[in-house]
Amino acid sequence: MITVNINGKEIKLEKPVTVLEAARSAGIKIPTLCYHEQLEKYGGCRLCLVEIEKIPRLQTACTLVVTDGMVIRTETEQVTNARRGVLEFLLINHPLDCPYCDKAGECELQDMVEKYGHTTGRFKENKRRIPENLEDPVIVRNMERCIMCTRCVRMCEGVQGASAIAVINRGGHSHIEPFSGGRYDCEYCGNCISVCPVGAIMSRMHRHSYRPWQLVSETETICPYCGVGCTLVVQVRDNVIKRVIPRLGKGVNSGLLCSRGRFGYEFVGSEERLTSPLIKKDGKLEQATWKEALDLVATRLGEIRKKYGSDSIAGIASPRCTNEDNYVFQRFMRGTIGTNNIDSTASLGYAGTLRFIENIFGGGVTANQISELSNSDLIFVAGGDPTTVNPVFGLKIRACSRNGGRLLTIGHSKGLRNFNPVELRPQLFTETVLLEGLVTALKDRKGLPGSNKKIETRIKDINISVDDVEKTSRVSGKDVEKFANLLSESVTPAIVIGRELMQSNGNSYKFLLLSAISYLINGKIYLLSERSNEQGVIDMGCAPDILPGYKSVSDSEFRKRYESVWKTAIPEKQGLSLSGMIISAKNGAIKAMYIMGENPVYNLPDSKEAEAALKNIGFLVVQDIFLSETGKIADVVLPALSWSEKEGTFTNMERRIQLLRKAVIREGKEDWRIISNISGNMGVKFNYSDAEDVFSEISSVSPLYKGLSYKEIEMGNSIYPYKGETLTGGEDIQIHKGKSITAVSRLYLRIERPLFHSGTLSRRAQALLKVYPEAVARISPLTAEAYSLKNGDKVKVSTKKGFLELPVAIDDGLENSVVALTNNFEGKGAFSLIEYTIDTVTNAPVIEGIEVSIEKGGG
Amino acid sequence: MLSEAVIKELEEIRQRYPNARAALLPAIYIAQREFGWLSPEAYEAVSDILGVPKTIARGVATFYAMYKHKPMGRNIVHLCTNVSCMILGAERLVDILKERYGLEPNSTTPDGRFSLVIMECIGACGTAPAMLVNTDFHDNLTQENIIQILESYK
Ligand code: SF4
Ligand code: SF4
Ligand code: SF4
Ligand code: FES
Ligand code: FES
Repeated sequence: MITVNINGKEIKLEKPVTVLEAARSAGIKIPTLCYHEQLEKYGGCRLCLVEIEKIPRLQTACTLVVTDGMVIRTETEQVTNARRGVLEFLLINHPLDCPYCDKAGECELQDMVEKYGHTTGRFKENKRRIPENLEDPVIVRNMERCIMCTRCVRMCEGVQGASAIAVINRGGHSHIEPFSGGRYDCEYCGNCISVCPVGAIMSRMHRHSYRPWQLVSETETICPYCGVGCTLVVQVRDNVIKRVIPRLGKGVNSGLLCSRGRFGYEFVGSEERLTSPLIKKDGKLEQATWKEALDLVATRLGEIRKKYGSDSIAGIASPRCTNEDNYVFQRFMRGTIGTNNIDSTASLGYAGTLRFIENIFGGGVTANQISELSNSDLIFVAGGDPTTVNPVFGLKIRACSRNGGRLLTIGHSKGLRNFNPVELRPQLFTETVLLEGLVTALKDRKGLPGSNKKIETRIKDINISVDDVEKTSRVSGKDVEKFANLLSESVTPAIVIGRELMQSNGNSYKFLLLSAISYLINGKIYLLSERSNEQGVIDMGCAPDILPGYKSVSDSEFRKRYESVWKTAIPEKQGLSLSGMIISAKNGAIKAMYIMGENPVYNLPDSKEAEAALKNIGFLVVQDIFLSETGKIADVVLPALSWSEKEGTFTNMERRIQLLRKAVIREGKEDWRIISNISGNMGVKFNYSDAEDVFSEISSVSPLYKGLSYKEIEMGNSIYPYKGETLTGGEDIQIHKGKSITAVSRLYLRIERPLFHSGTLSRRAQALLKVYPEAVARISPLTAEAYSLKNGDKVKVSTKKGFLELPVAIDDGLENSVVALTNNFEGKGAFSLIEYTIDTVTNAPVIEGIEVSIEKGGG
Repeated sequence: MLSEAVIKELEEIRQRYPNARAALLPAIYIAQREFGWLSPEAYEAVSDILGVPKTIARGVATFYAMYKHKPMGRNIVHLCTNVSCMILGAERLVDILKERYGLEPNSTTPDGRFSLVIMECIGACGTAPAMLVNTDFHDNLTQENIIQILESYK
């Protein structure tokens, strides 16, 4: 126990902390500027000076660590004079253009001067002039205002890990710049903006459009983009979102955001939003009233069901919609329509992976806390770059490395490259052998623990020597040994499975091998999740074979639970999966389809095939916030309310349920309400008054959510397994090793998942478009040389399925055998070039080994 | 692109220090030698070899006045105008350079022969005014001998 005396008050402390922390814990205020609780200590601004008995000069409270018996005074004459002096010095150069500065009202310097400073300054010299820099489309720098606290630099380097800005020059000339001196070339997380205490680094998005004190409302909600589920504060004026910020201590992201979350909100107010229902008349979509549209949908669906049976209708749910939307949707399909033909794009990888691994280890095995990651002593990343798919999750991995943890990666993980990873880069299509080699090596080192017979029977015969691994994969035996040693020595390992692996050839076998590794070293598994409610859409039973809560539709007892609440029968027969629906649409077995918040014409692999199949459907209903590619070919389009306009819940990748709140008021209907209206028109009334009402039904019926309510969620009691019953694995492990691919082509296609885009939403966010304006074809420097291509040159990228004409971007993080394309921009989606097969175990499309050629010139 | 030999030189320098950042100053100096000045490519080369982010390398280099932060002439005149030198007529010397060569502070003559950098005290106050031309030291400058000295640099 340490005892210190601050301003005559005795304070007892458990462990040595800084004087500042000690004072704050006792409610004693010491002013600060360069100090920030998220950042490494710096002691640069000198505003926090305090008097310490027996130390002759004033000391910085933010850096000095207390010792037992220390006597501290924070409000003596000497201290207040020093503070006043520090502030007077800062104002020698600081412009005092507060009336014009966006920061005024929330500026820490303004507050400090107002509270502790002189009323007038004594310096008469001219202030330094550094013109405001507007070269960047998103971030404005006004370096005259900079007080050199280096908070931004410490954020960018020490927390974000991007090292994109630095102090340049010396003395009175020093200020902050990105490498180019003008435009940023960075991750655009905007976390530097969050920590700048003054108006030196600011967002251009809301420039001069409001004052902090004019914000009418602040609403805490959840990010609409990815599965991390960051907590956002949405600030609104005149019913328009002006700014999105994180909040210290709140949510999985505590004070941090990524570019999508911070700058991607503009789609909400986009002029392209659908405002009224549309009905196709003579081949053209025309505006209609809600009544016309809802009646038409109900009548047509009723007719089709009568004529062709329930199973001629299919529904696609959405990993972007809330749990409530998805729950009501599957109730409608199952109860009202009477079919289990229901699925979502979660089945493009995430769902299959999750269910495969849960089948081995039991429910909830991937429900691991994101916050624990940074304390792991080792993180093994397989199958893609977590820092672009789930950026804030990626930060935890970087933090792990900074805390001394080891990072191991297989394949391409550019965002982790500067974090000292041990990288294994097997030849194309040889990861399986490498993983088998690792399993063999770990079995040798650790032995089989005997606790899970199911997996042990599957892996006991795997035996491949490091020499054989080396022969096939070209990863040296020594490296494999080193990798295996690190894995086996780790005490708190985590395993991260990325998107590329989820859609790889023989993915179920790879998951088995990764599960085996996890089993042998007792690791925690994390699955990367691209969409904000990818987990929730599965939890809600938007899958052809399970009801909400993961019980099979063939389980009659479980069906009864729902039937008794819904008062309708639920079919026993498993329905069609997403890929099955496309096939059935093509061959005419599907007569009608209802698509909620999804854009299959764009978001399904081999999207042209999907488009042809959907065009073949007699009656297509699309419910969305924009007129998507799929909407354009629909018979009826229904406009929905979007994120920030409605309430509900999302379930993130760690399976935490979180509340979405309404920040903007817009006329219209939530997805679940539209569905309820249609169901009512079809004679099955849903009596939900609001989203919370839907949720209470979910928690009353599904054993998984037993007793959970919005109130509990609000209090943070929504971490898996909630208070419910989890399920343990049931079936035998099936695997599918995939076809063997030998690398023959010069180039193969890879789907890139850029940090700045997600697709339909981000395409309507100006800030993200400015940072990443168009689709490009990324190639390695060597490939560029081989084809004599420069950055920006047009190329024609062709596969068996078609071609795209795109500008080239040379990327030194890529392998020489890869052409990386995105699937985010209208008319330029890489999914149109993809031919795929379906993995028979995980039902995920296999998007690997797609040969591609490039040709200079193009259009 | 750096030659194999230079890459090796840089790697050797790296070995002399406990961590990569400590090796920045000499490494930047070599990149400057190879690229002529601290161009973006020069920083990128240093960053690639040392594994220190290029933004950090640039931040460190800009602290120092004696690196070439922009393309410079063949000969760099570092002329001191701090107190002692100023009292003994350094400012007149600045004018002379302008009259004779059209050379202004922080600029380069159109023929690329000279660049002029104005220095704060270079530690030769006792024999002021003083200057460095490239790495050669010259003191006790006068309006006459400064031209003589500079004429020997082509
Ligand atoms: S936006 Fe993020 S990556 Fe870019 S400079 Fe700021 S902190 Fe660094
Ligand atoms: S830009 Fe802002 S955060 Fe960065 S050093 Fe200047 S005042 Fe501090
Ligand atoms: S990491 Fe994901 S949830 Fe968090 S701000 Fe970024 S996109 Fe949103
Ligand atoms: S807050 Fe302590 S020195 Fe800046
Ligand atoms: S003042 Fe010129 S050398 Fe010291």
